Amino acid sequence: MIALALDVISSAAILFIISSGLLIIFGVMKILNFAHAGLLSFGGYMALTVTQLGWSPWLAAPFALVTGFLVGALIEQTIMRWLYARSLDAILAAWGLGMILVQLITIAYGRQIQFVQTPLSGAITIFGETYSLYRLFLVLVAIALGIILTAVLKGTRLGLNTRAVIMNDNLAQALGINSAWVRFLSFSLGSALAAMAGALITPLSSVNPNMGFSWLISSFMIALLSGSSLVSLAVSSLVLGGTQVLVSTFINPVAGGMTIVVLAAIILRIRPEGFVNE
Amino acid sequence: MSEVEREERAARRKFFIFLLIVAIAVALVAIGPKVLDRYTVNILIRSFLYAVAVLTVDVLWGYTGILSFGQSAFFGIGAYAAGLMFTHIGFGPGEALAAIVLGIGVAMAAAWLVGWISFWQRATPFYVAVITLVLPIIVVQLLYSNPQKLTGSSSGLVGFSSFPLSVEGWFWIAGGLAIVFTAIAWQFVNSNFGKVLMAIRENEDRCRYLGINTTRIKTGLLMAGAAIAAIAGYCYAGFTVVVAPEIAGFVFGTELVIYTALGGRGTLIGPVIGAIIIDLTSAYLSGNLPFVWKLIVGSIFVAVIVLLPQGVAPIIARGARTIMGRFTAGVLGTKSSTPVQRLKPLERDASQVGFPMGAVPLRIEGLSRSYGSLRALSDINLEAQGSEIVSIVGPNGAGKTTLMRCISNGFEPTGGRVWVNGAEVGRISPHSVAELGVGRSFQNTSLFASLTVGECLRLARYRLERPSMFSYRTDLGLPEATLRILNATGLDAQLQDKVINLSHGLKRALELSVVLATEPTILLLDEPTAGLTKTERILIGEILVDLSERDGLCILLIEHDLDFVRSISSRIVVLHQGELLLDGTVDEVVSSDLVRAIYSGEQLTNATEDV
Repeated sequence: MIALALDVISSAAILFIISSGLLIIFGVMKILNFAHAGLLSFGGYMALTVTQLGWSPWLAAPFALVTGFLVGALIEQTIMRWLYARSLDAILAAWGLGMILVQLITIAYGRQIQFVQTPLSGAITIFGETYSLYRLFLVLVAIALGIILTAVLKGTRLGLNTRAVIMNDNLAQALGINSAWVRFLSFSLGSALAAMAGALITPLSSVNPNMGFSWLISSFMIALLSGSSLVSLAVSSLVLGGTQVLVSTFINPVAGGMTIVVLAAIILRIRPEGFVNE
Repeated sequence: MSEVEREERAARRKFFIFLLIVAIAVALVAIGPKVLDRYTVNILIRSFLYAVAVLTVDVLWGYTGILSFGQSAFFGIGAYAAGLMFTHIGFGPGEALAAIVLGIGVAMAAAWLVGWISFWQRATPFYVAVITLVLPIIVVQLLYSNPQKLTGSSSGLVGFSSFPLSVEGWFWIAGGLAIVFTAIAWQFVNSNFGKVLMAIRENEDRCRYLGINTTRIKTGLLMAGAAIAAIAGYCYAGFTVVVAPEIAGFVFGTELVIYTALGGRGTLIGPVIGAIIIDLTSAYLSGNLPFVWKLIVGSIFVAVIVLLPQGVAPIIARGARTIMGRFTAGVLGTKSSTPVQRLKPLERDASQVGFPMGAVPLRIEGLSRSYGSLRALSDINLEAQGSEIVSIVGPNGAGKTTLMRCISNGFEPTGGRVWVNGAEVGRISPHSVAELGVGRSFQNTSLFASLTVGECLRLARYRLERPSMFSYRTDLGLPEATLRILNATGLDAQLQDKVINLSHGLKRALELSVVLATEPTILLLDEPTAGLTKTERILIGEILVDLSERDGLCILLIEHDLDFVRSISSRIVVLHQGELLLDGTVDEVVSSDLVRAIYSGEQLTNATEDV
């Protein structure tokens, strides 16, 4: 029972971490970043690079965060900023960019499955249950991420400007907010978070160029359900991640793999606003 | 008359070019196996079948604006229908027939489900794109899960017995399918109905208010596309005798979108040729440098999306046009329009017109609309009879437009009830309200920028006169009131002009003409004369009075011009801060201190005491 509860909480934490970058971009630009899968894979390979360089595995996530920010900034400046007015084209271009990223990774690192060093190994006994230390660590990361992002959005000038752009882009521009700058920062930050998420999940699974795709649809659905609110993101991650764990445990893993998508589609059909405004 | 003849000759010539291209394509396919080497023939069979699937992407995305990553799933369903049947039951004529019927049936059922999940009101195009991305992922998951060891999991099904056909035979079948479906699709998108697809792409919401059930059209289109893709997949399995989960996967689905984008969306021929060329090239190149080839395709794809959103086809068409004059322009370019040449009055017997007897055209009880804690409308009670022109006045933000929105869209109100011609409007979408007889014009002229005047008018007739799917007519019957406006404004001489190029006044006139062309019994007009000249206003006033007196229309009108209101209204309703303050004759309202107070911004409490 406790193991199950821990599974639910840690799965929700992983989903939260993976979707947060997508949510930032979706919230500000109203565009789903179809390059998300490529960025997740990129982050995984940045973690691999840290291992190959012999650096401390604790540096994997920060390294992915920084390099992901740079990649995102490059993509925004060269491609995405021309496409915000053409939203379907924007997602297609992002999808193409994700493919390019995956091909570049394949050329640089090869197709084979590789493994990354874990910063935290072993298990800990909690409430009389032995549980993976690293998964518990990810719960802490998710909580910290939520607090930091909320603090930035609510507590800084940049966050205020961002919220203004989220609510009404035109009005924000008319008030003198540089919305191009806000978009640039959001896209770069979203990419950075995606890459960091990719690095953070590597100790749980192996690394291969397509690793991002297995998370793509779940994170899309969660972002669509959450709109632009971090609280909704936490709720959706918990509800959908929790259901997935329960279905995988009590029914079968194949059904579990489809739970998030099916459940999210049903929720959106019945309640188009998702978990927003609750 | 010579104008008409010239256009008809152009249309005939266009059709002739179309036949010529079909004939050339048939000849090429016929001699193909004789002149090409065996490897190329084998690859081309596959490319032709991909081209068929690409057509469905182009009709959905290029013409209608529905981006689908999931056409591969339907292709895969068709292929697995053949593979499963021939592996587990065996091959025979009956089995072959059963397999194709099953494949098409399952594909269409899946498409219906995708449509049901994706096409609700206000669902964004992203949402549809995501759902179509989900579909292939689920199909592949199911194939991997390999229930009862049926699907062969990741290695798929290999070496089942199939049609006893030579490679040439398959070449002709695949090439024939590509030609036939391209020709059908070409006729379809160039028919009168084809313009409905473009209207949905441009402004789906407005289509609904014209009484067009866009959800049904989009779902139908998705299902038809699924059936066609399934046929292509079925032939693919029959020819290669190999089915693996990859052919249902989203990577293949994405490739179909890439072919469409590179070839030139919304041109049909562009994507077909794009699919054939790219698939053929990758067959030759990807063996040597697989990753680099994908990298090149991906880079070109991104570059084309950013720099050449219409793909390569329009550039080639432009080149061809300069070389061969206007000869090929109509076929290759996207500009192939369905001309509306002749307008004529509708022929009708008098019994068709009029109302269900005895029912009040419009009755509103306790209607309210809140946005969160903001009450835009509260407890509105209103009745309007036939032959009445009721003007709604009030300052900005009084809730006038909200009231119209609540009448014309059953999902808008948050409380209260509305009856139209005796039928209660429940939670129904705007196209169903339009079917009850409500026509609504918009404050911000929101027509279809890239359609012509004639096409907009035909679109308005959709509900009453379903456009043909595979042919086009150049004449268009319109009600008298519409013809009068078109005549008086000179719009009838500009039927070929795109809406985007019209002046503001003409756009307003077209907006009104379009709404009247739907032959509503209740007309909701949101500032129909804003920005018009005095003469134009007088004309529109006369037409509205005529419509109400002669045809018995019930007209609700939002206007700020009090002179105009006074001259044509039979009744005036005053809204203020979401509440109905006054409902009376023109004289009562105009002389009321309350109205003066509202408009001059005096303290309302004092004014109310005066009344």
